[in-house]
Amino acid sequence: MSEESRMDRIRGEFSQAWALFLKDVRTYYLTPPMVMWGLALPLFMFFSFSVRRGLAPQTGIARLLALTTFFTASSAGSVIFPLERRARTYDRLMAAPMALITILLSRSSVGAFFAVGISLLSLLTGWALFGASVAQPALLTVAVILSAYSFSALGILVASGSAQSPGQIMMPSTLLRWPLLFISGIFVPLDRMGVWARGVSYLSPLTYAQDLLNHAVLGTGVQSIVLDVAVLALLLILFLGGASKLQRRSRKLGY
Amino acid sequence: MESEKAIEVSGLAKTYKKFLAVDHVDFDVRRGEIFGFLGPNGAGKTTTVRMLTTLLEPTEGSIRINGYDVSRQAYHAKRQFGVVPEESNVYTELSAQANLLFTGRLYRMPRGERERRTTELLKLFGLEEKQDVKAQFFSKGMRRRLTIAMAMMHRPAILFLDEATSGLDVQSARTIRDQVRQLSENGPTVFLTTHQIEEANQLCDRVAIIDHGKIAVIDTPEHLKAVFRSVQSVEVAFDRKDPGHRDALGMISGVSTVVKHGDKYRLYSDDLSAVLPEVMDYAHAKKLRIITLNTMGPSLEDVFLQVTGRQIGTVRHDPADKSLGRGSGKGRKGGNR
Repeated sequence: MSEESRMDRIRGEFSQAWALFLKDVRTYYLTPPMVMWGLALPLFMFFSFSVRRGLAPQTGIARLLALTTFFTASSAGSVIFPLERRARTYDRLMAAPMALITILLSRSSVGAFFAVGISLLSLLTGWALFGASVAQPALLTVAVILSAYSFSALGILVASGSAQSPGQIMMPSTLLRWPLLFISGIFVPLDRMGVWARGVSYLSPLTYAQDLLNHAVLGTGVQSIVLDVAVLALLLILFLGGASKLQRRSRKLGY
Repeated sequence: MESEKAIEVSGLAKTYKKFLAVDHVDFDVRRGEIFGFLGPNGAGKTTTVRMLTTLLEPTEGSIRINGYDVSRQAYHAKRQFGVVPEESNVYTELSAQANLLFTGRLYRMPRGERERRTTELLKLFGLEEKQDVKAQFFSKGMRRRLTIAMAMMHRPAILFLDEATSGLDVQSARTIRDQVRQLSENGPTVFLTTHQIEEANQLCDRVAIIDHGKIAVIDTPEHLKAVFRSVQSVEVAFDRKDPGHRDALGMISGVSTVVKHGDKYRLYSDDLSAVLPEVMDYAHAKKLRIITLNTMGPSLEDVFLQVTGRQIGTVRHDPADKSLGRGSGKGRKGGNR
């Protein structure tokens, strides 16, 4: 058997990640759990907390984008991993000649692109119905994609335990995501928070995503763009690293 | 990397907390052979297979697949084998064709080869007419065939089959056994895990019997049967029933055990030539008509029972053995000859 060069190997991993991504999109997008937790929930949250509060269209759009990236992206991992573990199709991936990080990156992309698609729809709706505009379109692209990847990786981290049904994952996932939502600057802007509340809000990744989206859509934010981008990128790495560690542990423990 | 041996296992152990599921086993599987891995539920079969296929990390020991160390060269080792797990793990939302094409992409097969191989396997496994149907609408047997086809997609050197025919109807099981036999003639080494003694007897070049996490014996089915000559038997049925037959037959010189099977008595002995005339004399003395009289070599099931001391369906707790508690391993009779 001829040995592959490093470049061939990397090219092969990209090809496998792409194949897995396409398969997942075909298989899991528009499945009931994805629609419920990834689409209906963020819209419900938005309308529950934002309608009749006299929000300017831009502010509403920035908030909606933060909510959709957060809930939609983090739902994909929580749906796909337990379903595949239960059907034992995940063993198929683990036994295939591909790196674990390739699987995790591909799966992050599945959640991230779902969130990007929903965000795009939200943006177009806001633009068409309310005439909302975007201050920095290029920054918005970066903000949505980076936030979606970070939150998708968070969903994968939560789903990397032993649960074999989305329901088992959704409970801890909800317990984690809702507090992160309420302590973030999404409903109460950072500049209106007290010192302590603001300190706590920095613990939520959503705070950085919302601030970055405010920069992109409204043209203004509380923190620096560099800090927001750096924190979200760092969280993406930490979430993927944690997920990788948990999955290696499960290979050791046998579940 | 070429190696004489397809699989080399040395000192392999797996511990779950304090439970030793696989206890430092050593064995080799030669290239091109069908190797049977037999054992009762919870003996450590599935744990061993999951370690061999990189799905579970061993606590101790080493595994080489076609010369590649699975812990240090996992990528190369994984390219050598295909896995058919106990449960058919096809993507039910995809068609048979899409399942095969996706598998080809996972194994980095070029597009043309992928498509040719898909057509070939759909034909070989009788799935051509259903190639565009989603697997969720397939019968259990069809899903099984698709699972095996997916494992064969990248032309692996080694095929791991875990309970390949478990839970299938007789016809589907026979079809799969025939296909495994044909596949092995064309090259791949087959590692077959099974409860079904007769399946191992019919298919395997060699078998290993694992019990309590340890390999009890490894040999060819015929050698094993020859070694366990004491489990040769005479099977006899008389025209009249009498509870005293069992004790009386047990008194015959050279008979080690008498077991009643329905209306027949099976007399175990290592010297059948001495036992047969005595059985005839007994029938004559009691004025009994002999309805059936067969001499039987030891079946692989007899060997199994001799080695493990228990029925095949006996359960032992093993956290990784997914077959536990499903009742799939009822002590099935091997075909005595």
